[in-house]
Amino acid sequence: MQKDGAGRSWGLGQHRCMELQLGLALPPPPLIPIETFDLNSYGNYETREALGTNALSWPLLKLGPADNDINNIHHHNSSSSSSSSGGGAGCKKRSFDEAPFFDEKRNVPKTLHLLLWTNQPNDEDDDPSNVLHENSSSAIFKNDGEGLVGWPPVKTWRKKVHHQIPNGGAENNRLPAVENGIGGRASKSTYVKVKMEGVPIARKIDLSVHHSFEGLTNTLMRMFGISDGNRKSFKLTYQDREGDWLLAEDVPWRTFIRSLKCLKLIRSRG
Amino acid sequence: MHKKMAFSFPDEVLEHVFSFIQSDKDRNAVSMVCKSWYEIERWCRRKVFVGNCYAVSPRMVIRRFPEFRSIELKGKPHFADFNLVPDGWGGYVFPWIAEMAGAYPWLEEIRLKRMVVTDESLELIAKSFKNFKVLVLSSCEGFSTDGLAAIAASCKNLKELDLRDCEVDDLSAHWLSHFPETYTSLVSLNISCLGSDEASFSALERLVRRCTNLKTLRLNRAVPLDKIANILRHAPQLVEFGTGTYTADVRPDVYSDLAGVFSSCKELKSLSGFWDVIPDYLPAIYPVCSKLTSLNLSYATIQSPDLIKLVSHCPNLQRLLVLDYIEDSGLEVLASSCKDLQELRVFPSDPFGAEPNVSLTEQGLVAVSLGCPKLQSVLYFCRRMSNEALVTIARSRPNFTRFRLCIIEPKTADYLTLEPLDVGFGAIVQYCKDLRRLSLSGLLTDRVFEYIGTYAKKLEMLSVAFAGDSDLGLHHVLSGCESLRKLEIRDCPFGDKALLANAAKLETMRSLWMSSCAVSFAACKLLGQKMPRLNVEVIDERGPPDSRPENCPVDKLYIYRSIAGPRFDMPPFVWTMDEDSGLRLS
Repeated sequence: MQKDGAGRSWGLGQHRCMELQLGLALPPPPLIPIETFDLNSYGNYETREALGTNALSWPLLKLGPADNDINNIHHHNSSSSSSSSGGGAGCKKRSFDEAPFFDEKRNVPKTLHLLLWTNQPNDEDDDPSNVLHENSSSAIFKNDGEGLVGWPPVKTWRKKVHHQIPNGGAENNRLPAVENGIGGRASKSTYVKVKMEGVPIARKIDLSVHHSFEGLTNTLMRMFGISDGNRKSFKLTYQDREGDWLLAEDVPWRTFIRSLKCLKLIRSRG
Repeated sequence: MHKKMAFSFPDEVLEHVFSFIQSDKDRNAVSMVCKSWYEIERWCRRKVFVGNCYAVSPRMVIRRFPEFRSIELKGKPHFADFNLVPDGWGGYVFPWIAEMAGAYPWLEEIRLKRMVVTDESLELIAKSFKNFKVLVLSSCEGFSTDGLAAIAASCKNLKELDLRDCEVDDLSAHWLSHFPETYTSLVSLNISCLGSDEASFSALERLVRRCTNLKTLRLNRAVPLDKIANILRHAPQLVEFGTGTYTADVRPDVYSDLAGVFSSCKELKSLSGFWDVIPDYLPAIYPVCSKLTSLNLSYATIQSPDLIKLVSHCPNLQRLLVLDYIEDSGLEVLASSCKDLQELRVFPSDPFGAEPNVSLTEQGLVAVSLGCPKLQSVLYFCRRMSNEALVTIARSRPNFTRFRLCIIEPKTADYLTLEPLDVGFGAIVQYCKDLRRLSLSGLLTDRVFEYIGTYAKKLEMLSVAFAGDSDLGLHHVLSGCESLRKLEIRDCPFGDKALLANAAKLETMRSLWMSSCAVSFAACKLLGQKMPRLNVEVIDERGPPDSRPENCPVDKLYIYRSIAGPRFDMPPFVWTMDEDSGLRLS
C-alpha cells in the first residue's frame, strides 16, 4: 500500500489568496480541457498546477449592490425570513400554506453572507488542522482496537459474516444472522480460541451461539472429532482474565462467559 | 367551478391526467403550476414520500394530502449504517403511526428506512388499518418478533412483509404461526435478517403452501438446506428466492431432491442467501441460472473457481452482489459472460485485515467496465487504485449513474505514481454526465472537489471520507453541484468558512452530515440563528458543546432543512441550534 508522505504539501490546499466577498456566486471558470486527460500528460503535475492556478486565484464572487445586509434575503417574497418576533421555544413552525413545498429546481439565491473571509496569512486560529489536532485526542475517534469507527463502510451484519470460518462446516450451521437484540450494535468479536491437548493447531469458536455447557461441549466434541464414547476422558478448562486456568464446570455459565479468554480441552486423568 | 381561461379543464379531467403521474418529483412539480393544480393534486396524491422524517410533521402531511394510501419515510442519516450515529439519536416512527391511525383508517402501505420501529408501533398498525397491504422495513430496528406476530395475526389483506437488513429482537420463531389458516394473500415475504435458532418450519411450509400468489420468498439463515426442497416444492411460481444456510453433509439424495425442485421453478429470476455455502451443492441451482437476472452471493464464502463456474452459467445476469473472493480473474469472466450486467457490488471478505487476502485489485473493475456496456451502478471495495484505471473506467463507461469506490486504507495514493487520485475521480465526473451518486476514497486533495463542482452537475449524493486539504474543497462542492441533495462527510479538514459562505445552499439540499471535521460550535450557532428553515443539530457524546471554547470543533454535525422546526425527541447528546441564539435542550 502506497501512502503519501506526511510532510508533502499539496500547494493548492494551502491557498490563502482567495477572497470571498459578498454577492452573486459565479460558476468557476472551466478547468483543464478534455485533451489533458491524456495518460501521457496527467502525470505532469507542474503543468496541472500552472493551469490550475488561474482557476483558483478568483475572487470567486463579485461585490453586489444591496447584499450587505443579511435582512435583505428574499426567499419567495416571504417576509417572515427576517422577522424573529415569533421567536421563543418551539413556535417557529411555519404555517404549511405559507411555504411552498421544497423547490428542487430553485436557483441558489444570493449567497448568504455569514462570514467575510479575508486574506490573513497568520490566521493560526482558523487553521483547521490546528484545531483538529488539539481536540483529536478523544477516544471516540477510535473503537476498541478495531481502528476507526465505521471504516471501512461495511454494514454491521456484513462484518459478522467475515468472522465466519471459511470452510463453513456443519458445526456452525445455525449461526444467528444478527449479533444482538434491540439497539445493540456490538462490534467486538465473540470468537475465542480453543486448543486441545496434544493438537498443535488452535481453533476458534463463536461463543454467542452457545447458551450452556452442554451445547458448548457438544460443539467442541464435534470440532475435534471426539466420539461420544471418548467424551468422558476430556475436561474443559479455561483461562480467565487474570491468567488463571480453571475448570469450566466449577462456575456458573454466566461467570464463565464473562471472564473467559480462551479454552482448552485436557485429558482427564484417573 | 368557474372557467375563465379557455384552456382550463374540469377537475375530474385533471385528476385523471394526474393519475398517470406517479413519480414524486413530477407530482411536486405539478403542484406548483398554480393554486388550482396544487389543490387538485393534493387531493389525488396516493403515494407520499418523505425523505427526512424530521423535515415535516405528520400533521402537516396529513393536512395537505387527505387521501393518501401509501407512505414512505426515511429516518436516520446514511452514515448510521456504519455506526456513526449514536443509538438513540432519533427516527422514531411511532408519532407518525399514531397520527395516521386516527386520520387514515384506509392506509395500505408503509415503507420505512433507517427508522426506529417498536412493537407498539407494529401493534398499532395491525389494529388501525383494516386494509393494510404492504410493510417494508429497511435497515430498521427496535422491534421484536412479538410485533411481527401482531401484524401476522391482524392484517388479513397483507401482501408484502419485507424486513431487509433489520435488527430484530428474535424472541420466538412462532410468530409465523400467527398468520391464520385462512390467510392466503401473501405475495412477498423477506425474513432474511431474522436469527432464531428454532425456526418454525412447519408453520413456514404451511404458509407457503396456502399462499399460491407468493412471488418473493427470502428465508433466513436458520432454515437448513434440507428444508428448502420441501418449501420450494410448494412454490414453483416463485420469482425471487433467498435460501437459508446453504450447507449440509453431502448426500446424493438431498442433492438430487434440491436440483429437481430448482428445475421446476420456471419463473425464478433472483436468488440470494447462500450463507455458509459449500461448493458441492451449488450445481443444484444450475437449471435456473440461465434465467437469473439478479444474484446475491454477498454472504457466500466460496472461492474464485467456484464463483467463476457459477457466474458463467448466468448469461442474463443484470445484478450481482459478491464478495471479493471472486478476484480479478472472476471479474474478467463476468465481463465476458454477462453482457447485460447493470449493477455490480463487490464486498470485502476481510475488511479489517491489514494485508490483502485475495487477488482483487482495480483490474477487476476495469475489466467489468470495459466488458459490460450496460453497467451503470458500482459499489467496489479494493485495496489499490490508479488514476490510469479510473480514467479508463470513466472513458469506457460514461453511462455510470452510481459510482461508489472504497479503497480500504484511508488516503491511499495512486499505487503507480504515488499521486493523489484527483485526476481519476475528475475523469469519472467529467465523462459520466448522468452521475447521480458518488463515493470517494483514497488520497484526494481540494482539486478533486474542484472537478466535482465543475462537472458533476447531476450529482445528487456525495460521500466523502479522509479527503481534501481545506475549506476550498467543500466550497467547490457546495457552490458547484447544482443537483446536490445529500452530502455526507467524515474526517475531512473542512471548517466554518465554506459552510457559512454557502449557507443558502443548505436549504436546497435534504441534508448535510459532517463528522470529525473542523466546524466550530460558534459556526453551528450562527447557522442555526440565521437559517430558521434549517435544523442544525450538534451531536456530541463528550458533553454539552458550550462546556468547551466556542472555536472548538463539534464532533458531529447534521444539518437538514425542515418546515417542522426543531424536533422534541432529541437524546441528551444532541443539541439543536436555533434562533434563540442559545442552546435548546431537549
